[in-house]
Formats: sequence, C-alpha cells, structure tokens
Amino acid sequence: MRILIVEDEPDLLRSLTQALQEEGYAVDGAADGEAGLFNAQNYDYDAVVLDVMLPKVDGWEILRRLRKTKKTPVLMLTARDQPKDRVRGLDTGADDYVVKPFDLPELFARLRALIRRSAGRTSNLLAVGDVVIDTGARQISRGGQAVALTAREYALVEFLALHQGRVVTRTALYEHLFDENESTLSNLLDVHVSNIRKKLGADFITTRRGHGYCVGGAP
Amino acid sequence: MIFQSIRWRLQLWYGLVFLALLAGFGVTAYALLRNVQLRHLDGEFQRRIGPLSSSLRPPPGGPRPFFPFFPNPFTNSQGPPPGGLRPDGLRMGRGGRREDQGDRGGRGGDFPEGGSPEERGFPRPDGPEFQFRLPSDQAALFGSESNSFYYVVWGPGGRELARSDAAPRDVPPPPAAGAAPGPAEPRMRGVFREIYHATPGGGGVLVGRSIAEELAGLRRLAWKLAAAGGVVLLLGLTGGWWVATRAIRPIEDISATAVKIAAGDLSQRISAADTENELGRLAAVLNSTFARLEASFAQQQQFTSDAAHELRTPITVMLAQTQTALARERGAAEYRATVEACQRAAQRMRKLMESLLELARLDAGQETLRRMPYDLSKTVSDCVELMAPLAEARGLKIQCAVPALPCLGDPERMGRVVTNLLDNAIEYNQECGQVRITGEKLGGTVILSVNNSGPGIAAEDLPRIFERFYRADKARSGSRGHTGLGLAISKAIVEAHGGTLEAASQPGEGATFTLRLPG
Repeated sequence: MRILIVEDEPDLLRSLTQALQEEGYAVDGAADGEAGLFNAQNYDYDAVVLDVMLPKVDGWEILRRLRKTKKTPVLMLTARDQPKDRVRGLDTGADDYVVKPFDLPELFARLRALIRRSAGRTSNLLAVGDVVIDTGARQISRGGQAVALTAREYALVEFLALHQGRVVTRTALYEHLFDENESTLSNLLDVHVSNIRKKLGADFITTRRGHGYCVGGAP
Repeated sequence: MIFQSIRWRLQLWYGLVFLALLAGFGVTAYALLRNVQLRHLDGEFQRRIGPLSSSLRPPPGGPRPFFPFFPNPFTNSQGPPPGGLRPDGLRMGRGGRREDQGDRGGRGGDFPEGGSPEERGFPRPDGPEFQFRLPSDQAALFGSESNSFYYVVWGPGGRELARSDAAPRDVPPPPAAGAAPGPAEPRMRGVFREIYHATPGGGGVLVGRSIAEELAGLRRLAWKLAAAGGVVLLLGLTGGWWVATRAIRPIEDISATAVKIAAGDLSQRISAADTENELGRLAAVLNSTFARLEASFAQQQQFTSDAAHELRTPITVMLAQTQTALARERGAAEYRATVEACQRAAQRMRKLMESLLELARLDAGQETLRRMPYDLSKTVSDCVELMAPLAEARGLKIQCAVPALPCLGDPERMGRVVTNLLDNAIEYNQECGQVRITGEKLGGTVILSVNNSGPGIAAEDLPRIFERFYRADKARSGSRGHTGLGLAISKAIVEAHGGTLEAASQPGEGATFTLRLPG
C-alpha cells in the first residue's frame, strides 16, 4: 500500500511518515501543494492524506484538480471543524475528513477503511483459500495457524489479496509497495515472493510470465 | 397584567382625561343653560314685582306712598295712606327701575277707565290699614294655571292681603319684620321659584312660579347631554384605541425582533417602513446597533475559532510525535527528535498564548503603558541589531537612517512594534532584497517608515492585514513561528500610545509601513 501525505508542517509530516511506514505502508511526503499535486497525479497511490491549508496550492484545489483524472481515495486533514468545512470537503470529492488534532490509531483505521472500500471490500478479513488476512490486526493465518511475515511480505500479500483473481503487474507492485526514496532492485520482488511461497504454500501466488502475479482463482 | 401594557395604560389615561373633559363640558353647558333660564324667569319676576309692590300701599291717612316722586295711580283715587310707617333704606337704583315699570303700568292700567280695579284677598280682619289693588292689565300677567305666575301679598305683621289663584297653599309666610325693604334673592322651594319683595311699610309681596316644566326640560337636556357625551366618549375611545394600536405597532415590531435576537438570531432586523418619525429613527438606531453587534460577534467568533485553529496544529504535532514514539521501543536519537519536535510545538503554543494574552489585555485597556521619555532611534537600532542575523540568513540588507527621535511612551513595547515590522519586512522580502528604515520629526509628530523590496501586498489584502490571524498567504500558518497576530498587536500598541500605523503597497514594488507617534 502506498500513501501520499501532503502536509506543510514539517514535524507533523515527519511523524506521520514514520508512523505510516511502521504500519507497513510505502509513504511519500509532500511539503507543499504543488509537489503534492504532482505526486498525486503521477503515481497510483492507494490513498492520499491531504492537509487543507497548504502553501502555493491549497488542499481544495489539489482535490479539485486530482478528481479530473484520478479516483484515488483522499482523506482530508484540517484544523477547521465547522460543519460547512466538512460538507465542502466531502462534496468536493474527499472520501473522508479528519479534524486536527487527531489520534494516530483513528487515522490509521480510517485509512484502512478507505483503502478497503476503494477495493470494493466491506470487511477487514480477506480470505484466499485457507489463508485469512486480517487487515485490521495486520495478521495472516493459514488453516487457523498464525503465520509470521515481515512488514513488506505482509504488504505484498495484502495488496495481492485485495486484488485477488486479477493479475497484478510487477510495475504496479513496485508502485504500491515501495516509496520514491527506495532503490527498487528488480529482484527484490522475486525474493519477497519466494519467501511468501515458503510460508503460505508454493501455489498461493501464481506467476504469469510476462504479466505479473496473481492470487486466488484464475481470471 | 393588562394594566402593565402601555396600550391599556394609554387608553385608560386617555379615557379618563376625555371623560373629565366631556363631563366638564356637559356640566358647564347644563349650568349655563339653567342659569339663562332662571335669569329669564327672574327678569319676568322683576317685571311683575314692581307693579305688585306699588299696588300695595299704606291705608289712607298713613304714610305717603313709599315712592313719593312716583305718580302712583292708586294714591290719586284712594288718598294718602294712613299709618306711621316711613320708608327707609330706599335704594335709588331699584326705585328708578320700579318707577319706569310703575309708570308704564300706571298709564296702561288706569282703572277708572279700564274697568273696576282688581281687588282680591282683602280679608282685612283688623281694619283697613293696607290696601292692595292690582290693575287689571297687571293682573293679566298672573294666570290661574298651575304653571303660571302667582303672587302673594302680605301686609305688615305677615297678614296675607292677597294671593293669586295659582298661588300654592303652602307658600311660607314672609320672614319676620325687620327685613330690609327691597327684593330678596330669588329662591327655590321645591319646584317653585319665588322672589320676595319686602315693602318699606313692613309688608311684602312674593312672586313665584312653578318651574316644574323647565326643570323637566333641563333634566331631559341633561340626559341628552349625557347620552351624547357617552357616544362621543365611545367614539373617542375607539379612535384612541386605534391610534394607540398604530402607535404601539412599531414598538411591538421592535420587541418581537429583539426577542428573536435575544434568542440568538443576530441576523434579525426591525422592518421600519417609515424612518422619519421617532420610532423609525429608534428602529434605525437599533438596527445599526444590531448590525454592529452581529459584526463584532462574528469577529469575536472568528477570532476564537482562529485562535483554536492556531492551537490545533502544534497539538496535532505533539500527539502524532508522541504516539509514534510510544508505538514501540526507540533509540535515544529518535526519542530526542520526538522531544525536540514537542518542544518546538510547545514554544509555538507559548508564543501564541502570549500574543493572545497581550491582545486581550490591550483590548481591555488593562495594559499599563509606561510613559517615559526615550529615543525611538535607539530602540530601532537595537531591533536592527537583533534582527540582523535573520536578514543576513536571507541575504537581505537593512539600511537604517533614523535621526534622534525623542518620544514619550513605553520603549519596550515600541521595540516589539519595530521588531514586528522588521520581521515582516524580512519575511515578505525577496532574496537579496533590502529593508529601509527612515525616521523624521514633522511638527509634533514622529514618523517612522519601514520599507521593503518584496513583492508587495495585494490590493485586496491591504485593508485586512491588521486583522487578527489574517494572512495574505493562507497557508503560512505557523511557519517560522508566526502567529498571525504580530501586526494586530503592533497596531494595538501604537494606538494605545495615541499614534497610528498604516500600510501602503504597490504590488511588485514592496510595502511600506508608516508609524506616526505624537512627539
């Protein structure tokens, strides 16, 4: 899962980035509206956390322009808690609205819900064969037995499971699992896939040569 | 309570005053009319009483008739009356009138030609001392009907000499002897109006008449007056109610609006169609008061919401930092970074809080400004020294050309103003630009200008930059520790010193802040 945070307060941007990375997300940060809009328009994020008050281009404008081309779920962060501000945010195309100050667990929960909804799911539990993924607790079990995965492995399984039945390209995986600062070695993905097959069974992930990876039933 | 309503009270007072006026008018009209009727009646009495009293004469051989200069027809035929009674206290005025009446009566009623003289009621059991003969034309003045004039004649000692047919039985005898001769005041006795005339000889004549008809007429008149008064009062009260209702209606409008405003809807206004009258003017004044109230309320709300908003960001930072740090075990460096971020946030909140407190104190007028002589140029150079590192970091030059400017006031607070202005001039400048500070004393005014070479202030922002939390760039919230209150506080301080702070700018040509202080 890759998330963009657009926030002009440096300390807040730093701590949000760190916290979300520790939650297993690939996180890009933007300190002003221009950079934020550029990133949002040019990458397929799983969600965007957008502050309203931003230098250069404000949050409303970013949202308006972004909605012309993308359906990326957007969570607005704002210090304005007037109902009319919330209404305006939601009407402009925001998917959720969080008023500062907020608690991080709530923000994470809202982000998970946002990502889940955008993938067309209603539950935190994803099942692929005998493998069950609890996206809330970030835990995976196989036949009732908990399986320990690294954060990156978990993110890969979760992403594939959210799009189960469909072929996910390597490019898409790279885009959604690594942030812009990470050196994306071409074989890093193969290493993760091989480790996951060892833990969840060799046939959990099928490889479509020249296309990408797929979990669950064949399309 | 009904009598606590102005309309009812107005109506009550109006009704009372109206009633009093009507009653006064009615009573006066009645009294005047009654008076006129009685006067008329009394005139009739006077016309009759003269001949009557002249007809009463002492017996022959007695004293001369009491009007010796007056040719009494009776004396010619009966001779001088006997007796020793002499008239005294004769009044010439009345005598004159009587003379006239008597004269006419005498000529018109010359009984030797006009037939036998009327002789009535001559019981005279004690001898013929007094004689009463009434000429027939005079007698015609007294009828026999119950409502016609009547007379009663008494001789001395209260002996009744004559009475007309219509005279009631119960006419009281004349007052005891000794009454001054001449007519007494007319009196009312039941429905009878009577006038008694004492003759000098000791006797007297009484002329009277039943005025029952007149009294009944007057009573009818009184009832008519009362009925008319009642109708007028009713009409007046109806009119008064209408007027009071019309007069009260704007007040009710005002009160209804005030109730809505008191309930919290500050956007309500009184609809005053006619703004020229007193209530219209009152409504206009109240409306403008409401408008100002609403504006200041909105301003206060905006201020509170802005202040809360300014506090949200540092609190969010602290929450996010601490929650992230506590999520798992960290190294010392990470904890240190977290604590530093929290410290920055706390410093920012402290700065905001201090600014808010200072503004609140300046607003309340509690801020006690010192008033001491100081040199503003010294304050400026201190501030320039303080801000120089910041300017250097941005590659800015500060040019300071301020001569000695002796002022009276609080140098510490004025230093805060200058620092704020310099800070702004540096913050909103271009790279490698410059800041110019000039000062002069014109007349009694000290003028200090701070000019920068930045992009200037947009025309739509210029009138609002001194507003609290107003930022030309909405997103500069909290950057570099600016609270958005600096210019508002500066203006408040300068105004507390009796000075002015103004901003002028042409987009692209920098901005100039001009400070004027009374020297």
